[in-house]
Parts: sequence; structure tokens; C-alpha cells
Amino acid sequence: MNKDESTPRKMFDFRKKPMQSADDAAAKNPKTERREKFYADIREGETLLDITDLRIVFKTDEKEIVAVDSFTLSVKKGELISIIGPSGCGKTTILRAIAGLIEPTGGSIRIGGNECKGPGSDRGMIFQDFALFPWRTVRKNVEFGMEIAGIPKEERSERAERYIKLVGLDKFKDARVHELSGGMKQRVGIARAFVNHPEVTLMDEPFGALDAQTRNIMQAQLLRILQNTEQTIIFVTHSVDEALFLSDRVVMLTKRPARINRIIEVPWPRPRDRSDHDFVEMRKAILDELEKENVMN
Amino acid sequence: MIFKYDKHNKYHRFARTLLITAVSFVIFVTVWWELSVLANTPAIPNPLQTIDALINLIHKGDTFTGVSLGTYIRSSMTTFIKGFLMALAVALPLGLLLGNFKTLNELATPILEIMRPIAPIAWAPIFMLAVNFRTGPMLVVFVGIFFPLLTNITFGVKKIDPLLVDAAKTLGASQSQIFMKVLLPSTIPYVMNGIKIGLGIGWMCIVAAELYAPPLGGIGFYLAEQATAGYWPGAYAAIVIIAVLGLLTTGVADYIHRFASKRVGVEV
Repeated sequence: MNKDESTPRKMFDFRKKPMQSADDAAAKNPKTERREKFYADIREGETLLDITDLRIVFKTDEKEIVAVDSFTLSVKKGELISIIGPSGCGKTTILRAIAGLIEPTGGSIRIGGNECKGPGSDRGMIFQDFALFPWRTVRKNVEFGMEIAGIPKEERSERAERYIKLVGLDKFKDARVHELSGGMKQRVGIARAFVNHPEVTLMDEPFGALDAQTRNIMQAQLLRILQNTEQTIIFVTHSVDEALFLSDRVVMLTKRPARINRIIEVPWPRPRDRSDHDFVEMRKAILDELEKENVMN
Repeated sequence: MIFKYDKHNKYHRFARTLLITAVSFVIFVTVWWELSVLANTPAIPNPLQTIDALINLIHKGDTFTGVSLGTYIRSSMTTFIKGFLMALAVALPLGLLLGNFKTLNELATPILEIMRPIAPIAWAPIFMLAVNFRTGPMLVVFVGIFFPLLTNITFGVKKIDPLLVDAAKTLGASQSQIFMKVLLPSTIPYVMNGIKIGLGIGWMCIVAAELYAPPLGGIGFYLAEQATAGYWPGAYAAIVIIAVLGLLTTGVADYIHRFASKRVGVEV
């Protein structure tokens, strides 16, 4: 990471070509095929997800709480965007709205020009508390989405096997969830989401439940996994460090109601060095700004 | 050589359990015996007399009616299992419905809350006379097992982790797929827990119900008959049989419950 580096970083340079055979296999299934055809014309770097004027209001008996207000964001295909903000500002609410788990009060969420109504397998999600099915083995957890989509058994297990290998769990593919450590559980979560080739993967503080050391390992692993698969990711975190280490852009939110404070382009190529002077400076600047946001009422 | 107990050796642990159980049993028999001597009434026979009557019952059956012990046990067990299956067949779908649909649950709650505290045995005379002596005890068992089963299943459906439902939704699952692939498996431990509790209560019900149902026979009938005739050791022998069968029933239920919980990976 050199300050004087004049050549701009090639956008998304850390990703290689997607695994071709996986896409071939997916194309055989009519359900998946329809979707992939539909979005096939969107190329890397073009806008995939468009959120305009998103507004989310929660009603209680006493009052209405505006959780998110006039939130507008475009996400390009192949991009990794982090959303950070003061705690309790509505980061997760935005993510759940994109996933279709919460109905927005106003505004629109579009994927490839199509309005998102309710949850769907085009938007995968990875949860902070893993949300794995405890009665299923690792392999069966990863196969869940493909089972739902009605993909034939052989193809299912072949694809699951490949993604389990990708996240480095091939020794544990027949283990039950409770036998795994936190980091391993989240790797299953990642495999379970990525194996369905979602258009966008929503990660809700995915490493928040892990200890600091495992967290750093997982971040590095995520980048490694992303080299081998083509993914668009929205990543919610409360760690500025994590956001700067992983993302192409960092979206800073205000206190509730969540609005966009500013969007920071992270200019450095990956892998990034946390101890680098620029990295430390930028992290400090963002932390200061977050603190200011927290103090201001 | 002095024996040293090692708590990490499973044979030592087993021997310890065995020893403690044996001691507990000896204390029980001794207290019983003392009691029968002190009370000095035919209503409390000593253990030896009871065992005598028990051996007699096993060998010769009921000397009054000429029915064998096996027939009595079979009769009791059949009624018990039929009542249990009936309760399961009604409570399972009903519990899933009540857990899933809030309004339905609210509608059913007042009725259930009125019915639940009524002791199942209280129904025995009514069922016996209003229905008949054959299905009556079955219905008593049904009532006994039904409520704990229903409560547990409804609770299990309500307790389902909303995150798992969210996860299934983001993986593209429809409502019916969520029901089949998330809701059903996650309620299994609760169903098993309900069965475990229900079987214990049900077994109490069957014996009590049989006291009212002479034509049906069964081990409860034998108990009533012996006590009425004033042949106390016979009545106590019946109680021993009831205890052993009850122990077997709960043991089997406990084993199934533990197996299912482990299989599903959830503890209740």
C-alpha cells in the first residue's frame, strides 16, 4: 500500500473468473436458469442493486420510530460494500429490508431493475448467530437452498461438496452443527449462502460473535473465498477495522433515523495491511467521526 | 490391596450406581418390613408375603376368575397404547395449528384452561357409564396424555427460533417448505418431551380407570378385586406389577426422548 501509487487500483482486481462448472450446473435447473438469464446482461461493475429513498418506520402503541430514512444506494455487481454506523442506528434493519424480511414503509429496492417483493433466493443472507439448522449435518445445511429449489440429488451433493471444500470444512462435512466451533459454523453459513449463487449476499455482522483472533482469520478466509467465486456483498459491521480491511466502499450512517453520512472509497488493493500508516490514519478519522455522531444528539 | 474409586472409570461408576441402588432397595424393604410389623394389620403385609402372592400370581394367575397375569397385562397395555395413539393423533395436528395461528390459539386457550386442571380420573365414571366399559378407560388415558402433549407441542411451535425461519426464507423456502423442513424438525424434541410426560400420567390413568371397569379386566381390576376380597398380599403384588410396568414405560419414553433430541441436535 503505497501513498504515491498513481495507477488507480483496478476495480475488483482480487476476483478471478467464477467457477465455470458451477454455473453450467446451475443452468440445467429451470428455476435457476431463468434467474441467471435475467441478470446475465449485468456485467461486473454495472449497477446491480438499486435502493432509492428507503424509509422504514416501526410502530409501537405509544409512538412511531423512524429507523431508516431517505437511504439511497447503488451497489455494483462484484462489489463489496460495508455499512457502518453508531450502534443501534438501523444497519441491520436496512439489510433485513433488502433481504425482504421486513417490508419497507417507503422507497424501493430493485435488483437488476426488478422490484424486490418479499424474501427470495436471489438475495442470500449470512447471520451473526449463524442460524444453521441444528438437526442437519454440515453437508445437509449447505444443501438446504438447493433442496428448496428442487435441484437433483447428485448435483446437489456435488455442488455442496465443492463449497464445503472451498470453506475448508471437508473433514467436517458429516459433522453436526453443535460439534463445530464458532468460526466453523460461520464458514458453513458462508457456504450455505454462496452455493446458491445469490445475486447479492447480505452479511449481518457475520464475524461479530467470534473472538478477535478467529475474526481476523475469517476475514482473510472470506477474501480467499471471494477470489474463487463471483459475489456481490453488502456487509454490515460495527468494526471500522473490518470494514476497511474488506470493502471497496464503506457507507457511514448517521444516528437513528439512519441516513447516509458519507461514502468512503477504499483505494488500496488487497490483501491490505492493518498496520500500514494510511490504514491506521483512515481508521482513526472514521472512528473520530463516528464518535462525534454518537455524542451529538 | 485397598480399592480406590476412580470416577473417570466407567466400570467403577457403574459399580457405584449398582451398589447405591442395592442399598436404597435394601433400606426400602427394611422400612416396609418394620412398618408391617409395627402396624400389625393385615392391610400391610410384609415383603415376603407380597413376593409369595406375586409368585402365585405369575404362576397361577387370578385364582378367583382364572384369568392369567399375561392376559391382564395385555389388556391394560392395549388400552394404554390405544389411548396414547389417540392422544397423539389429535394433539399433534392440533398443537401445530395452535402454535402456528395466533387467533386460533387465543380462541382455544379459554376452553383448554378450563379443561386442563380437571384430573383425568374425574372423567372415569362419566366415560365408563356414558360411553362403555371398553372405550371408557381408553378415553381416560386419552385425556391424561392429551393435555401435556398438546401444551408441549404448541409451546414447541411457538418457541421456534425466528432466525431459522428467516434463514429458510432467504434460501428461497415457501411457507409450506418452512413448515416441513424447519418447523416440524424443530418441534420434535418438544413432541418427545410431551410424550415422556404424557406416558407417565397416562399409566397412572389406566390403572385408576380400570378400578371402575370390572368387565374390562386389566391389572387395575385385579388390584380392586383382591383388595375388596381382603386378600392384601395379592393387592400389593398388583402394585408391584404396576410399578415395574410404569418404570418400563417411562424408561422407554426417556430413551426415545434422548435419542430424538440428540438426533435433532436440540436439548429441551
